[in-house]
Amino acid sequence: MALVVYFSLAASGFANPRSAVFVLQSVAITGILALGVTTTLVVGGFDLSIGAVATTSLMLAAYCMVVLEQPAYVAVAVCLLMGAFIGLINGLLIVKFRIPDLLATLGMMFLLIGLQRIPTQGNSIATGMSLADGSTAEGTFSAAFLWLGRHRFDLILERLIPVPVVVFVLIAVAIWLFLGFTRHGRLMYAIGSNERATALVGAPVERYKIAAYMISGVTASIGGILLAARLGRGDIASGNNLLLDSVAAALIGFAVLGAARPNAFGTAMGALFVGILLQGMTMMNAPYYTQDFVKGAVLVVALMFTFYLSSRRGQSGRH
Amino acid sequence: MLKHRMLKHFAVSVTAAMALLGTSLATAEERPAPFDAPEDVTIALIRYISTGDFFQAYLSGVEAQAAALGVNLRVLDSRQDAALQADMVDQAIALGVDGIIIQHGLPESMKDAAQRAVEAGIDVVAFDVEVDNPAIPQVEQSDYLLGELALEQALADNGDRFTAGYVYVPGIAPLDRRNAAWEDFKDAHPGVTEAAVFGTLDNPIANSVANQARAVIQANPMINIFFAPYNEFAAGVKIAVDEMGLGEDIAIYSADISTSDIAAMREPGSPWAATVATNPTVVGEVSVRTLALLMAGEAPGQQVIVPPTLITQDFLNDNAITNMETLSENMPQFSHAEVALADWLPLPER
Amino acid sequence: MQASVLDIQGIHKSFGNNQVLRGIDMRINAGEVVVLMGANGAGKSTLVKVLSGYHAADHGQMQLAGKPYSPRDAREAIHQGVVTVHQSIDDGVIPDLDVANNLMLDRLTSGAHGLWVSAKKLRQQASEVADAMGLDIDLNARVADLSVADRQMISIARAMAHAPRLLILDEPTSSLSATEAERLFTVIDRLRAQGVAIVYISHRMSDIRRLADRIICLRDGQISGVFDQAPLDLTAAVHAMLGQAINNADIEPATPGAPILTLHNVELAKGAAPVSLSVGDGEVVAFTGLLGSGMSALVETLFGLRPLSSGTMQVDGQPYAPGNVREALARGVFMSVKDRATNGVIGDFNIADNMTLPFLKAFTRGAFLSARQQRASTEQMIAQLGIVCQSHADSIGTLSGGNQQKVMIGRWLQSPSRVLLLDEPFQGVDIGARQDIGRHIRATAKGRATLVFVSELDEAIEIADRIIVLHEGAIAGEQSNRDIDLNALVAQASGKA
Repeated sequence: MALVVYFSLAASGFANPRSAVFVLQSVAITGILALGVTTTLVVGGFDLSIGAVATTSLMLAAYCMVVLEQPAYVAVAVCLLMGAFIGLINGLLIVKFRIPDLLATLGMMFLLIGLQRIPTQGNSIATGMSLADGSTAEGTFSAAFLWLGRHRFDLILERLIPVPVVVFVLIAVAIWLFLGFTRHGRLMYAIGSNERATALVGAPVERYKIAAYMISGVTASIGGILLAARLGRGDIASGNNLLLDSVAAALIGFAVLGAARPNAFGTAMGALFVGILLQGMTMMNAPYYTQDFVKGAVLVVALMFTFYLSSRRGQSGRH
Repeated sequence: MLKHRMLKHFAVSVTAAMALLGTSLATAEERPAPFDAPEDVTIALIRYISTGDFFQAYLSGVEAQAAALGVNLRVLDSRQDAALQADMVDQAIALGVDGIIIQHGLPESMKDAAQRAVEAGIDVVAFDVEVDNPAIPQVEQSDYLLGELALEQALADNGDRFTAGYVYVPGIAPLDRRNAAWEDFKDAHPGVTEAAVFGTLDNPIANSVANQARAVIQANPMINIFFAPYNEFAAGVKIAVDEMGLGEDIAIYSADISTSDIAAMREPGSPWAATVATNPTVVGEVSVRTLALLMAGEAPGQQVIVPPTLITQDFLNDNAITNMETLSENMPQFSHAEVALADWLPLPER
Repeated sequence: MQASVLDIQGIHKSFGNNQVLRGIDMRINAGEVVVLMGANGAGKSTLVKVLSGYHAADHGQMQLAGKPYSPRDAREAIHQGVVTVHQSIDDGVIPDLDVANNLMLDRLTSGAHGLWVSAKKLRQQASEVADAMGLDIDLNARVADLSVADRQMISIARAMAHAPRLLILDEPTSSLSATEAERLFTVIDRLRAQGVAIVYISHRMSDIRRLADRIICLRDGQISGVFDQAPLDLTAAVHAMLGQAINNADIEPATPGAPILTLHNVELAKGAAPVSLSVGDGEVVAFTGLLGSGMSALVETLFGLRPLSSGTMQVDGQPYAPGNVREALARGVFMSVKDRATNGVIGDFNIADNMTLPFLKAFTRGAFLSARQQRASTEQMIAQLGIVCQSHADSIGTLSGGNQQKVMIGRWLQSPSRVLLLDEPFQGVDIGARQDIGRHIRATAKGRATLVFVSELDEAIEIADRIIVLHEGAIAGEQSNRDIDLNALVAQASGKA
């Protein structure tokens, strides 16, 4: 809040509905990824592969449409399936092969960064690119697909709310309801807090953990689809910045409302907070490295707050 | 990485020497040794970086020119490991290659390794890495010229009074060199105002730059020109301009080009007015030709500069250009650089 | 008159508005075992923490061997000879290191130790320490692989390495079987003979009877009774602690209804005589035995945690051989597990979420959980079991051990079960809470078979209609809970019958 007021005064043009929507749009994709990370954090896991899943989804969507000349719905469906499949593999590696979550998803991250480049020998995908067999890719990003990244719904002002923001809000609400208000969400929190105890009340712990990674994979692939629709091309990228920003958002979210645990509402707020900060700083001409510094500072303060809070809470029961 | 996306043209002079004996099986064109028996010649490309469109295209140029010559090519890729790249030079010496092209790298690690190769009697050419050795010709692209050409076009299109947004990340060598062109341009044209400087290399770069550009446009609504001397920057600014519906009011001038950039420039109402680029494939070809001249005992010059080409939106539209290949076909100066040539040196087929 | 080791006067300690210690005076002499009794929340733990340097007292003086004593932290307390072995065993050992390293850990952390660790010397010193304690453990074994009892002995042995003047033992036997405990008592006897002053905290009457020279009872932060006339008047001590007398074993064994759970020739240990038994409707059967008696094998087999080795089991006349916990639950076999901190409590959850965890499906309306129904069910259970808390929304971590255990048990009473298994339901539970739990289990026993697994005979006598003693995987004895022959039970449990 204070932040909004400050930037409104310091940077002309900060405070208006369009500005607000721009902040939302700039955090929509990292926000969606962060919601996936939140789900894995809830079950006591961690997903390092989301950035790579998103960029793989970006490449896959472009590949489907430009090279294979498939319509938009096929590209979207293939990407979502890919996300779910990667999540399933992550989950199986962690649950069945007992690989620690960080290591399993780190491996998956490298695997995907490499894999996404294989079909095009490391080239970005765009209409008209030359293929290995010497022909030219004739497919295009269809209008329906680009709509996902570029259309804006009217709300008060004409053409105000972009589709990615709507998708972000929908996913945030869905994950918030799922984690906070369904028995599945409750059991996932229980697994994160005491896996053994949760297994002993008969919860299918392994299935829930796999489901968490699948949710994470699917949200990451949605992020990638929206990214592809916004960029209109298949840029190769490791997605590591997406990963770091979304993890930061999820961790900052711990501190929101003093929850001291992963929660979807906090994650959305965390993403928004970072977005407002960066938007305001960019408008005030702050160079990029000060922005990284400020992001880091916000994260450290949020974590101090979170862990100080939870250690206090832990002590209060005993004397 | 950008380091490599620049280029330039121009050649100069000299140095040289060598002589290896080859058997003299005359080919049709009477090539000088050792290219009279090219199947016995092996050259090595030792790369510092290989991922990305630019490097892919560079490699294809190297491959095409090596094939045209008929020599064997070995590609060693250190994946941005400077120490490994130096080891690879020693490895190439041990393999007994006849010539080496060093593609990028850190001067500190490459200087000694390159000297060892020279001492072993191997001809060495360096691309975009300063090894500071009189026996080693440098193939370069001129980042300064790249920036200068784009800005001249901005001037021609918009007159000498405009308000600019500038995308720049300091500390990246090619961007710093392009920045020098921008600084000089500002000094020479007092009517040009720099309203904002921003930029980031967070990937996907275009996405991150788009977020920033939108904030910048909002804070500085008077901006009518963006100077974005790197194609990922320009792609990001274009997304922001489109999203804000300001395509008619803002023009983007950039450097570098790729197939997807061509599509972006040609979109109806696209603000992306012009870009200046060197064709990385051509740079690859020039690298091999420079090495060949050196091996044949001719003098390629201490510096071989591949010149950049101005590409405007109008040109792309007028010629219905859709990708890098059609661009090359329609723009001879883009598809071929008149440097490091010799009568006996066959060019790749087009 | 023996020399005083510790003298404290007028110790006060508050946390916020909560006055936990309200003027404690006591004196502990060399070569004396003082048992500190008190219900949870009486201030025992806080007193121990003040003595061992974790907390500073608000008022009052302490003197150690005649000199003023006010440790700034735990390190300084240890340095001055006040050593504490805490209740949670795993605070006292490093599971991933071997026994020798664990025994020597304190020497390794002291500044006096050099940079390099000599494996040979370390092992030699460790074996000296082990011998002095009468420990018979492989020094190369990883501590994580040891039994709870062995781990407990190691953490006490570590404490002994400091040559304490005052040794504080906080419920050291809560995870030990009778023989294991006896080993500990032998060590304590030896220390007492050496002139070490010992403060011993326990709820177990058998421990107290065996060890105490003096009993000090705490209640509401004050000393409510001191007993030092032999023989010690345990009944009066419990009265002083609780402010009410317990009605020990005032049980009228119920007549069991139709059999619900039957076991036929189930082998609990290799080569042991197979076990056959039957538990009827409304009956509460307590199983007791030492470690290795087959109790845990029986518990795990019944709850689907280990496969049925041989023989058959039936629930309600239908074959029963659960492959996992879910299959057991599906047949109406519920279990409150032991070691609640690791196996039961969801630390991040409040009381209501902990309580309703197994039956969330029943609290789901449409797609979402009904917080209202969770609350209603939880509040009912809070009232029935007498859980002391502000509200159903309290974090589970704010409850005392006994109240946490009530939540764990209440969890499985919300839905009717056919067979209810309670594994060590009185672990780390004060006597008041223990009685509440026992009373409620007996009151609700109709309609199910209840099996209680306890390692303490006292606890079995307090709750059961019938007591079955296991020894080395076989049934060693069985008695109806009326005019119990305690000596026989003890003999059967130790295999001397």
